[in-house]
Amino acid sequence: MNVKHNLQELTNIATRLRLHVVDMVAPSGQGYVQQGLGAADIFTTLYFAEATMDPTNPSWPDRDRIFLTTAHNTAIFYATLAERGFFDVADLATYVTDGSPLEINSSERMGSFVEATCGSLGQGLSVAVGCALAAKRQGRASRFYVILGDGEMQEGQVWEAAMYAGSQGLDNLCVIVDYNFVQSEGPMDLVMSLEPIMDKMESFGFACQEVDGNDIESLLAAYDLARETKGKSSFIKANTLMGKGVASLEGLMFHQLRFPPEVAASARAELEAQL
Amino acid sequence: MNETLTQLEAADFINRSFKPLPKAYGDALVEAARADPRIVALCADLVPPTETDLFRDELPERFHNVGIAEANMIGMAGGMARCGEIPFCHSFCAFITKRVLDQITMQAAYPNLPVKIVGFLPGIATLLGVSHQAIEDVAIMRSVPNMAIFEPSGPEYHATMVKLALDWDGPVYLRMKRPETTPDEFTPRSLEIGKGMIRREGSDVTIITSGLCVLESLKAADTLAKEGIESRVIDMASIKPIDQTLILESAARTGAIVTAENHNIIGGLGSAVAEIIVEEGIGLSFKRVGIRDQFCEGGTTSFLMKKFGLNSSAIAMATRQVLEKKG
Ligand SMILES: Cc1ncc(C[n+]2csc(CCOP(=O)(O)OP(=O)(O)O)c2C)c(N)n1
Ligand SMILES: [Mg+2]
Repeated sequence: MNVKHNLQELTNIATRLRLHVVDMVAPSGQGYVQQGLGAADIFTTLYFAEATMDPTNPSWPDRDRIFLTTAHNTAIFYATLAERGFFDVADLATYVTDGSPLEINSSERMGSFVEATCGSLGQGLSVAVGCALAAKRQGRASRFYVILGDGEMQEGQVWEAAMYAGSQGLDNLCVIVDYNFVQSEGPMDLVMSLEPIMDKMESFGFACQEVDGNDIESLLAAYDLARETKGKSSFIKANTLMGKGVASLEGLMFHQLRFPPEVAASARAELEAQL
Repeated sequence: MNETLTQLEAADFINRSFKPLPKAYGDALVEAARADPRIVALCADLVPPTETDLFRDELPERFHNVGIAEANMIGMAGGMARCGEIPFCHSFCAFITKRVLDQITMQAAYPNLPVKIVGFLPGIATLLGVSHQAIEDVAIMRSVPNMAIFEPSGPEYHATMVKLALDWDGPVYLRMKRPETTPDEFTPRSLEIGKGMIRREGSDVTIITSGLCVLESLKAADTLAKEGIESRVIDMASIKPIDQTLILESAARTGAIVTAENHNIIGGLGSAVAEIIVEEGIGLSFKRVGIRDQFCEGGTTSFLMKKFGLNSSAIAMATRQVLEKKG
C-alpha cells in the first residue's frame, strides 16, 4: 500500500470498472456480468490500493501477487488490469472475440499479470500457497492474495491447500472469498452449503474476518488487519451482491445472466449517473 | 438511451432472450431411467450444459448435483454402482476425465462397474479456452482397461449414446457435444458397439473420423469428389472397442487412410487406427488430422477448427497428400 487512499476516487474507479464490464459483455452476451459487478469493489481495493505491483514490470519478482482462481470472472479482471495500466484500455473491446487473448477464461498467455491459469476451479489456492512458501524461503516481503469463488470452495483441493497453509502459519497469504452465494446451478443452498464457513476456516488455522464485500472501507480495513496478523494465514469472507451498482440487476442470482441490449443500455445509464 | 429499467422490466427482457436448444441426450436419459430404476444421474454443478435439467426436474430423488467436486462424484458413483445402481456422471470432458483419472481407474474401471462418464465440450470446441478444452481425453480414457468410448457426430446420434452406454457392461466414456444452434429437423439414428459406420462410399481413400470431424470429412469428400477423388468416410463413433475388421478391409480396399479427430494427434482415434494397421503388417499411405500437439485457445468452433487445422479444407489437403504418396 503506497498511497493514502481517497475513498471517493476508489469509488469512482469501481464505477468505471463496472461500466467496462457492461460494455465488454454487451456486444456478444458472453461473460459474467453479475459476478463482475459484484466483485468490482474487491478488485478495486486490491489492485488500486492494497497490492504493490509495477505495471511497467509485471514480472517484478518482489511484487505482491493476486490470483483470480475463478478465472471466468474476466470482464472485471481485464477491466481492472487495463485501468491499472497492464495493457491498453482499448484492447477491452476485443473481449471474447476470435483470436483475442482476452478470453472468457483468463490464461497466462496474456502475460505474467495472470499469475496462473485457473479456469479449472479449485487449483489456484494451491499455486498461491506454493508461491507464498517460496517467498518465505527466499526472504521476500511479497504478499499473496487469492480471490476464490464460494462455489469453487466445494472442490476438495481447496481444502487440501487450506489445511497446508494453516499448518504452516503462512501469514503472507490472504484468501478472499467472493461470497456471492451463487454457483452454476444458482443459489449455493440448492446444491451444497459451505456453512459454517467461518468456523471451518478458523479450524483450519486461518485468521478469519467477515466483511461487506461491496464496502470499500471495510475491505481496506480487512486487508490491513490481515497484513498485521502474524503467524496465521488470513481468510476474508467478502459478502458481495450480484449485479451490485445496477439497481435492475442487483440480487439477480444467475451464474451466466443473459444480457440483452435493452438491459445493457439501462445498466450503462445507471452507472454513468453514479460517476 | 438514458431510460433505466426496473428489475421486473429487466427480468422480462432477460427471460425473452432465452432460446432453448434441443436436448436429445438428456431426454433419452430420462426415458431410459423411467424404464430402468437402477439408473441415477450425478452432475458436478453443470446441469443445463450437460442436459441433465430434465432429469433433475422429473426424477429428483434419483438425481444429485454434487457440487463443484468431480473427484467425489466419481468416487460416489463407484459406491452406487457397487450397490446395484447405474450412475451416469456429468461434467465437461476436461473435468470428468483428466481431473479424476485416478478415481475413474480405481473406483470404476478396475472393479469393472457400470459407471457411465458423460462429458460435454469435446476437444477444442468451446469459447472457454484451454482449461475447458479436452484434447487429451480420448488418449487417456483409451488407455484405461475395461473402458469403452463413444463419440456421436451429431444430435441424431445422441439418444443412442444412452443405449450404447447401457449395453456396455462396464465403465463408459461418452464424449458429447451440445448443438450450438437449433439443428434442422433430425431423425434419431442408432449405432452399434464396435462398429464403424460407412457414411459415404468411395474407393480411392478412406477417411476415418469421429465427432465434430465427421461432417467436416463429409464436406471434404464432396470437395474431393469434384476433383475426381472418391473417398470412403467412416464414422468411428465407437472409438473403443474399435471396428478392426472395417479398418483392415478399408486399408486393403483403398490403400490410403486419413484419420480426422477433434483431439490431439497423439493417442486418439488416429493412433488407434495406426496401431491396428501396423500390427497387421500393412504398409499404406497414412496421415492423421488433429491438433498438432499444442495447446489451443478459446474461440468460436469454426474459427478454432480452421486455426488448428481440423476443418474440411485441412482434411481435404491431408487426403490429397496421402493420395500423392500412394501414387
Ligand atoms: C473443475 C471445474 N468444474 C466445473 C467448472 C464449471 N464452472 C465454471 S464457473 C462455475 C461456478 C462457479 O461458482 P463460484 O466459484 O461461486 O464462482 P462465481 O461465478 O459465483 O464467482 C462452474 C461450475 C469449472 N470451471 N471447473
Ligand atoms: Mg459464487
